[in-house]
Amino acid sequence: MTRGTLIYIGQRLLLITLTALIVSSVVFIGVHQLPGNAFLTERRTNAAAQAALLHHYGLDLPWPVQYVNWLTGVLHGDLGESLVNRGVRITPLVLREAATSATLGFWAMVFTVTLGMSLGIVAAVKQNTLLDYVASFCAVIGYSMPSFVTATFLVLLTVTGFYAWTGGTIYENIGWGKPEQIPVPAISLGLLPSAIIFRLTRASMLEVIRQDYVRTAWAKGLRSRIVVIRHALRNALIPVVTILGPITTSVITGSIVIEYIFGIPGLGKEFINSIANRDYNIVIGVFTFYAILVGLANLLVDLVYPMIDPRIRY
Amino acid sequence: MVNKGETLGIVGESGCGKSVTALSVLRLIPEPGRIVSGHIWFKDRDVASYSREELREYRGNDVSMIFQDPMTSLNPVLRVGFQIKEAMVAHERFDNKTADERVVPMLQKVRISDPKERAKNYPHQFSGGMRQRAMIAMGLSNEPDLLIADEPTTALDVTVQAQIIELLRDLNRDMGTAVVLITHNLAVVASLCTRVIVMYAGRIVESGPTRQIFNSPQHPYTWSLLQSIPRIDSTQHDKLLTIAGLPPDLSNPPPGCLFHPRCRFRVDRCSKEEPPLEEVGPEQAARCWVLMKNALAGAEPVR
Amino acid sequence: MATAPSTFEPGPDSFVATDTYEVGERMSAWEDTWRRLRRNKLALVGMAIIVILVITAIVSSFWTPYDVWRQSLGPTYQGPTGKHPFGLDDSGRDILSRLMGGAQVSMVVGVGTATLSSIIGIMLGLLAGFYRGWVDTLVSLLINVFYGLPDLLIVLLIVAVTQQRGLGNIILAISLTAWLGMARLVRGQTLSLREREFVEAARSVGTRDRWILVRHIFPNALGPIIVQATFVIPAAILFEAFLSYLGFGVKPPTPSWGAMASDGFRSLQYAPHIILIPAAALCITLMAFNFMGDGLRDALDPRMRR
Repeated sequence: MTRGTLIYIGQRLLLITLTALIVSSVVFIGVHQLPGNAFLTERRTNAAAQAALLHHYGLDLPWPVQYVNWLTGVLHGDLGESLVNRGVRITPLVLREAATSATLGFWAMVFTVTLGMSLGIVAAVKQNTLLDYVASFCAVIGYSMPSFVTATFLVLLTVTGFYAWTGGTIYENIGWGKPEQIPVPAISLGLLPSAIIFRLTRASMLEVIRQDYVRTAWAKGLRSRIVVIRHALRNALIPVVTILGPITTSVITGSIVIEYIFGIPGLGKEFINSIANRDYNIVIGVFTFYAILVGLANLLVDLVYPMIDPRIRY
Repeated sequence: MVNKGETLGIVGESGCGKSVTALSVLRLIPEPGRIVSGHIWFKDRDVASYSREELREYRGNDVSMIFQDPMTSLNPVLRVGFQIKEAMVAHERFDNKTADERVVPMLQKVRISDPKERAKNYPHQFSGGMRQRAMIAMGLSNEPDLLIADEPTTALDVTVQAQIIELLRDLNRDMGTAVVLITHNLAVVASLCTRVIVMYAGRIVESGPTRQIFNSPQHPYTWSLLQSIPRIDSTQHDKLLTIAGLPPDLSNPPPGCLFHPRCRFRVDRCSKEEPPLEEVGPEQAARCWVLMKNALAGAEPVR
Repeated sequence: MATAPSTFEPGPDSFVATDTYEVGERMSAWEDTWRRLRRNKLALVGMAIIVILVITAIVSSFWTPYDVWRQSLGPTYQGPTGKHPFGLDDSGRDILSRLMGGAQVSMVVGVGTATLSSIIGIMLGLLAGFYRGWVDTLVSLLINVFYGLPDLLIVLLIVAVTQQRGLGNIILAISLTAWLGMARLVRGQTLSLREREFVEAARSVGTRDRWILVRHIFPNALGPIIVQATFVIPAAILFEAFLSYLGFGVKPPTPSWGAMASDGFRSLQYAPHIILIPAAALCITLMAFNFMGDGLRDALDPRMRR
């Protein structure tokens, strides 16, 4: 890791912090500018209790003051207190949920990248064979399959299917917490992006196989395995890596729906619940964390980039 | 056709089959191309009969090749030194360590300054001339019997061209590797090669020792090629001759001699029968019914 | 920065009609595109499906086999029968009728979002690329900040916070994130087109800026714009489905494929048709638009083929 790389990482971290701050401020101000008191009006409390609640959350102050108070908290790493469940601090809650979401996202990415890339390579090397046609056809379908549809099919297959076929000895337990509960949501989340990666890898591999330097590698008398893996693949991966950033973002986006379907206690489920409960303090907190999560994931992808392409230096 | 340690030039216009000939020697013709007829003999064996593994051992070890465009012929994501070493390791001629140790001397041999540091560079840190030197180092690293250089200087500056040609000549002399130089540049051939083959539309039209071909070309095509280059020692103020027209479409070749539509010395027979490649002088052969010695003498063809 | 997977990323000097001045030449460029598009079988299939969808959507606004909201038409969770080819849902509503109504919602959201986001994106992109200055700074900043956020989150937040669940509000919310891609594309195109000779020529004879933008730059960027807009439609349809799946879409009983699928998920084990039918409709729709988008992209820029 060179000095330049460290400076680059520092700059990016600063940018992520800044983005998170801007985004959460916009959301904060947006939420607080809504006509009427969007917070606690629906609670069945008497006027005195209502006033006490408002005072507890500092909601009786003018919004610029609220904003300054909130920002001070954020800068100290404190995202405030849940409006619905009094006494629950948001920072530890969201941190725990972010870890869950990151685990799901990580496995979904592992699945996406492994499946998409390996099939893409094989389809390109065996171009115009049955395998290529089948894989390309599946990718065309997978490309247009929303995550909740994939989830439906997988649940039908694992929960209903396995249960019926094995007479109840094998069944999938929907939920979260055990390792065997990871694959179904992770695959649901990763199938569509893997179709995108497949198409890109295949096209890029076909392009690279025709390059002069691959011919050079053959002319040197290298084994075909080495030509494909060392010479063709590494170059073919360059455009694939560029797209991993947006793919990561779309996987994180998809995780909102997947967590909701499978009841996974992550950021996405929390976001949906908090929006439904109008617990805006949590909404802002989750939003901030999403901004950070996406920023970090994209930074990670950008750090992989120069490892594959030596022409890129930070 | 190529003897041990010899330098042979293959000359012709673009698109006349020089590169394809060279690629077929290594059986590297891109799909859907294939060798339909003819043989490639290497040390008394037909390369076309090689098994996959034999072919792999033959490529880069017995015969190696350097390509036209050094900018795209080196892998951009691998270090130059590694790409040279890889060629040596692939043939188990050198173990990993020896191969490593040979990289720097190889780069030195092709006159790359500071070879030790340069070996660690990536191709994009090399200039065009340096990349071609690296390609030559890679090609020679296994001490092959034959090095095929396919237009090695076309993509380079004129001054660099001269250096590369000089390098090839010196390496040929020092290492005894036979060199086949493919080019459309007659001056390059004259300065490097002992023997020349002239190709037209995928066929050999003339071959012979360089000096003889340059002094008395027998095929009208060779003659026209030589007339189309300016000569500083020319006494008359002749116009440079150009060859009218383009090489024929090989999917629909003209009948008879393939050159006859563009030939200024053609006779009736030329459009009917294709002439064979025949001895026309000591070690010199040409594929023509007319031959320049007759054409220039104004005489009728011998046959 | 890289783009979202489905965005149209033009090459260095990608689709530009060869000559803007000769009407004849431009016509032939479009005819050429149409000829290439017709040769693409998948794109044709896509277009055929889209035509069917549009007809269905129009028909459903004045006729469906049953009222989309009428419950207890028969036994709940009933599978496909002659009377109800796609069966009945959990409250005994006719799924075929609701599917047709859902097509209307999807089409309106898709086309509406594509139109609205294109208008915003094209205008801001043209201004940012042509005048640079503060407009450009602002647009670029917005693009860079929003780029790092999952757009579904923003849409969810807007829909939830405004508490408006009408179609118009949903279109507005999705457009607020979708215009960024279009603005990025148009800005980039404008930046390169404004340096081209024909723009300089127009400027040198004193043509007004507005005229240059409308008559010289915009038509030349039209190809990529159309492709981008085509890809916005399935993205918006998908977003609407996500929203209604999560319970933030159009108010029931207005049928939406996402909401229908969400209803069906609960009865997945004993009445899978309730979820499978709207899910399949959604997939086929998305596929049709993706086919057409891919086909258009290939037809408009033959160099990007494969």
